[in-house]
Amino acid sequence: MVQEHRSSRRNFLNYILGFGFLGWIISVLYPIIRYIIPPKIPEAKVKSVKVGKVGDFNPGTGTIFKFGNKPGILIRLETGEFRAFSAVCTHLDCTVQYREDMKAIWCACHNGVYDLNGRNISGPPPRPLEAFRVIVRGDEIYVSKEG
Amino acid sequence: MAKFGERLFNWFDERYKIRGFIEFMSHKSVPQHRHSIWYYFGGVSLFLFIIQVVTGILLLLYYRVGEDSSYESVQFIVSKVKFGWLIRSIHSWSANLMILAVFIHMFSVYFTKAYRKPRELTWVTGFLLLILSLTFGFSGYLLPWNELAFFATKVGTEIIGSIPVIGKELLIIVRGGEDVTGATLSRFFGLHVAILPGIFTVILFIHLLFVQIQGMSEPPEWEKLPPEKRKYIPFFPNFLLRDLLLWLIILNILAVLAVFFPWDLGKKADPFAPAPAGIKPEWYFLFMYQTLKLLPPKVLFIEGEFFGVLIFTVAGILWMLVPFWDVKTEKGYRNRLINYIGLFVLIYMITMTILGYALS
Amino acid sequence: MRRFIVLILSLFISVSALSQTGDGCYNCHKDAVGDKATELYPGDVHFKLGISCADCHGGDKTSDDMDVAMSKEKGYIGVPKGDKITSVCLRCHSDDAIMGKFGSKIDVKQFKLFKASVHGKSEIATCVTCHGVHNIKKVTDPASPVYPTSEVRLCSRCHSDANYMKRFNPALPTDQFEKYKTSVHGQRILKGDVKVATCSDCHSAHDIFKANDPRSTVFASTLPKTCAKCHSDADYMRGYKIPTDQYEKYVQSVHGKALLEKGDLSAPACNDCHGNHGAIPPGVKSISHVCGVCHALNAEMFSRSPHAEVFEKKNIPQCEICHGNHLIEHPTDEMLGVSTKSTCIKCHKEGDKGFEVARQMRDMIDTLVVRASKAKAILDEAEYKGMDVSDARYEMNDVPQILIKTRTVIHTANLNEFKETIEPGYEIVDRVTKSGLDAIYEYYFRRWGLGISTLIITVLVIALYLKIKQIEKKR
Repeated sequence: MVQEHRSSRRNFLNYILGFGFLGWIISVLYPIIRYIIPPKIPEAKVKSVKVGKVGDFNPGTGTIFKFGNKPGILIRLETGEFRAFSAVCTHLDCTVQYREDMKAIWCACHNGVYDLNGRNISGPPPRPLEAFRVIVRGDEIYVSKEG
Repeated sequence: MAKFGERLFNWFDERYKIRGFIEFMSHKSVPQHRHSIWYYFGGVSLFLFIIQVVTGILLLLYYRVGEDSSYESVQFIVSKVKFGWLIRSIHSWSANLMILAVFIHMFSVYFTKAYRKPRELTWVTGFLLLILSLTFGFSGYLLPWNELAFFATKVGTEIIGSIPVIGKELLIIVRGGEDVTGATLSRFFGLHVAILPGIFTVILFIHLLFVQIQGMSEPPEWEKLPPEKRKYIPFFPNFLLRDLLLWLIILNILAVLAVFFPWDLGKKADPFAPAPAGIKPEWYFLFMYQTLKLLPPKVLFIEGEFFGVLIFTVAGILWMLVPFWDVKTEKGYRNRLINYIGLFVLIYMITMTILGYALS
Repeated sequence: MRRFIVLILSLFISVSALSQTGDGCYNCHKDAVGDKATELYPGDVHFKLGISCADCHGGDKTSDDMDVAMSKEKGYIGVPKGDKITSVCLRCHSDDAIMGKFGSKIDVKQFKLFKASVHGKSEIATCVTCHGVHNIKKVTDPASPVYPTSEVRLCSRCHSDANYMKRFNPALPTDQFEKYKTSVHGQRILKGDVKVATCSDCHSAHDIFKANDPRSTVFASTLPKTCAKCHSDADYMRGYKIPTDQYEKYVQSVHGKALLEKGDLSAPACNDCHGNHGAIPPGVKSISHVCGVCHALNAEMFSRSPHAEVFEKKNIPQCEICHGNHLIEHPTDEMLGVSTKSTCIKCHKEGDKGFEVARQMRDMIDTLVVRASKAKAILDEAEYKGMDVSDARYEMNDVPQILIKTRTVIHTANLNEFKETIEPGYEIVDRVTKSGLDAIYEYYFRRWGLGISTLIITVLVIALYLKIKQIEKKR
C-alpha cells in the first residue's frame, strides 16, 4: 500500500516535471520565434529613406513623406527634376505643402512661402527649409540627409 | 518507443563507443562538504554564457553595425521587433550577472585553494576566460552607440594612451583612428561577435575538459581525513539536477530583471556633444578606473596613469600565476598569506567600486 | 535776437584781433586778388577764432613776398584735395589740447567715426562736402548747411540723384527725400519746426552705416531706441499731443520681445509699420494691410469675414481693436469666446449670432487642447513605462499645427470653415490616445507574460527539488 502510494507520488512528480519542462520550453521558444519573425514595418532608416517610384510622382506635384520622425516633402518640378526638403516650417514647425498655383512651397499656418529651392521668400519663416539629397536609383527614389 | 531509443543508442555506441563515456560519467562524483555551494558558480557562469550566445545570435538578426545604424537598429529591436526588448534586456543583464558569477567563481576557487597541483592550468585558463569576459563586456558596451557608451569607451580607451612610447600607436589600433568613431564601432563589433567568441570557446573547452578529466577539487583539509569520512554525491543525476535547479532560478531572476528593469537605450551618441556628467565605466571596471583617478599625476618619475596600468598588469599576472608561487599549499601546509592577499584584493576592489559610485 | 547780438559782437572782436596780428595772406588776397575764398571767410567760425589761411593752406602769413609766403619750403600746400582736406581739418579737430585752447567742446573723435562710416572715403565725401568751406558755420547756426532745415536738402543733393548714387550703390533707393516730405517729420520741418527728426537724428552724423549693419543707429534691433530718443522724452514731445509710451509698450509686446530679446530680425521694428522715411501712423483702414504684410493669412481671412465690412462702416480700427497696437501681446485663447477676458464681447451680446459662434469656437478649441494634453499624458505614461510610442508622437506633431490653423481660421468668423479645420485634430488625438493606451496595455501584458513564465519555471524548480530529494532518499 505504502509502496503503491509512493510510486503514484513519483509518477505524479514525473508528470509535473514533464509538463513543467514542456511549459518551460514553450515559454522560452515562444518569444524567440516571435522575435525571429520580422516585423511588418520596414526597418526605420533615418539617414535615407525610400520614397517611392519615379512613376508615382507627376511633374508639378509635391508629396509629404516620413523621414525619421519628421515629415519631408518631395517635389517634382515641371521639368521632371526631383527636389526634397524637410517639410517642417522654420517658423513654428507646421508641415509645409506644395502649392501648384503658386509654384512654391507654402505653409498653411501663417502663409509662409518658400521658393522651390527651399528659400523663405515671404511671410514669417525666418530661415530656408533644410534641403535633402534626392537619389534616383533606377526606378526608385531615395532621399538622404546629406545634401 | 523504448525499443527505438535503445536501437538509436546502440547505433551510436557501435560507432562512437559512448557506453564508455556514460560509464565514466556515472562514476563521476562531486565532493560534498560545507563549501560545496561554490562548486555551482562555474556552472552558473557557463549557463549565463550559453544565454549570452543564444541572445547574442538573436540580436545579430537585426543589429546593423555602423555610425548611422547601430543606435537605430537597437532602437528598432527594442521597439518594433516582438520581444526584442526582452532579448536585449536579457543579453545585457545576463552579461552583468555572468561577470559577477565569474568573479565569485574565481574568488571561491582562490580561497578554497582549488588551484593547487594538479589544477594549475585550470586556474590559468579560468583567469584567461575572466579577462576575455571583461573584454566582451567592454566591447559590447559600445555597440548600441549611445551617449553613455560612447563616452565611457572614450574614457576607457584613453588609458591605453598613457603607456609610454607605444601608447599612441596602440590607442590608434584599438580605436581604429585617433578618436572614437564609426571605425571603433566596427572594430569592437568584430571583436565582440567574431574574435572573442572564437577564442573564448576554445579556452572554455579546454577549461571544461580539465575539469572533466580531474574532477572537482577536494578541500585541502580532506587530505587528513580518512577516506570513509569523505562524502560524495554522484555527478549524474544528483549534481547535474541541482545545477539545473539553480539555472532555472537564475533564468527566473533574469526574466524579472529584464521586465522590471529594462536596459535603457538612452540618447544617440553625438561625438560633438559635451560629455554628460558622471561618465563611468561599467561596474566591473570601476575599481580600476577609480584607482587611476585617485593616483597622483606623477608617481616616482612615471605618469600616474601608466603607473596604475603597470601595477594592475603586474598584479594580474601574479594573480594568474598563483598556483606556481604558492608552494606552501602544494606541500600540504596552510598558507595564510594567500588568504590575506585574497582578502586584501577583495576588500580593495569592493571599496574602490563603492568609492567610484559615491564620489560622483 | 540775442544770438544775433552775440554773433555781431564776436565778429567784431575777432576781426579786430586779426587785423592786429596782420595776416599777410588774407590782406593780400582780399585787397589785391579779391577771390571768393577771402570774400566768404569773415563769415566762417574759424575766421572769428583767429585761424588764418596759412593754418590750413600752409605757407608764411608774415611774409609780404608772395614767392616766399607761398613756397613749398614754408609748407605751402595750395588747395588741398581728397584725403588732404580731412588731414587739414584733423590737425585741430582730432586734438583735444588744441580744441581746448579755442574753448571748443566738439567731439575729437568725429573723424575716426567718419572714416569708418559708409561715407568715409574721400571720393565719396570729406568734411567740406557737408560743412562747406571758407564759410563754415556752427551746426546751431541756421546758415549752416547742416542746420536741420537745410540738412535734409544737403543730404538729398547726392541721395536723390539717381545718376550720382549709381556710382556707389546702385541698389540704394533715391526716393528718401520724396518720402520724407510726406512724413509728419518732413511736413513739419518744411514749416520750420527744427525739433523734428532729420536725416542725422536717425542715421547719426558722422558714423553713418548701412541699415543692415549692426553698428547702424537704424539697424532693426537698434532702431526702436533711436526713435525713442525723442518719442519717449515727454518733455521734448510736449506740445505735439501724442503719447510717449510707445517704446515702453513696444518692448513688452510680442514684436518687441522677438526683436530685442530673441534677436529675431524678421520681427517688426517701428519703421516696419510706420514706414521709415515716410513715417506716419497707419490710417484705420490700412491697418490690416500693414499687419497683413507679415500676417498675410490672418489678413486675408479677416478681409472675407463679416467683420471687415462692419468695421469699415463704423470706422473701427481693424486688427487693433482686438490686438492693440504698440503693446501687442501673445494672443491667447482667452481672447476668444464669451468670458470676461474675451474681446468678442466688446461688441457681441448674449443672444446674437456672433456671440454663439464665439462660444462654440472657444469650446471646440478648449476641447482639443484638453484632449491633446490628455493624449500627451498617456504617451508620457507609456514612455515612462519604457514603451516606445515614437510613431504616436510623430502623429501628435500635427496637433499643434492644427491648433495654429484653427486659431488663424477664427479670423474668418465662419463656423463651418472653423469646424473643417479643427476636426482632423480630434481624429488625430483619438488615434494617438488609442495607441498610447495600447502601449500601456502591452506593458501590463508583458508583466502577465512574465508572471506566467515565472510560475512555470517556479513549478519546475519545485518539482525538480522534490525529484532531487526523491533520488537522494532512494540511495
